[in-house]
Amino acid sequence: MTRKAQIITTLASALAVSAVMSGVVHAQAASAVSAAKAAGTVGEQADGYLGFKGAASGALKSEVDSINIKRRAAYTQTATTRGVTVKEAAAAVGCQTLANRVSQGQIYQLTDGAWHVKGADPIALPSYCAQ
Amino acid sequence: MTKGILLLSAIPLAGCVQLAAPEKPIEINLNINIKQEVIVRLQKDAQDIISNNPELFPK
Repeated sequence: MTRKAQIITTLASALAVSAVMSGVVHAQAASAVSAAKAAGTVGEQADGYLGFKGAASGALKSEVDSINIKRRAAYTQTATTRGVTVKEAAAAVGCQTLANRVSQGQIYQLTDGAWHVKGADPIALPSYCAQ
Repeated sequence: MTKGILLLSAIPLAGCVQLAAPEKPIEINLNINIKQEVIVRLQKDAQDIISNNPELFPK
């Protein structure tokens, strides 16, 4: 193997390792949020974002913030394409998450700002959500 | 007769429109309510956002 080929191989394996590592970090962060959802400290809000019930701190808060910033970017893109406000695009997703993505025992927040625990019945969605 | 004069002179006064500067600044509420028709139109987009970005919507 030539020296050049060796360098290329080393670089390629370093890239592969870093890709795997970032995937691992990402999966860990997502599972931290999933764990917090299961524990009832983090939940979906009607406004289309994740929120904390009570005080938030540390790594979990930065992960939730990071997810919310990325969500906002996605909402902004849809809002621009469809000619609606970011708030409306976000609220449309909020309708979906409350309807389909909150498991029994997890918490969720309605438009009044109050947190509720999902029971066996479907969540009573805000009136603007398509029923 | 005196009564009649008094009544007549009172009429123009009552017709005056008095303008006074409001004590508080005028607030125009620009909060636009979320409209159901808009949300209905966005349902497909909302589903796409969720399915295209699973990492942003952990279970």
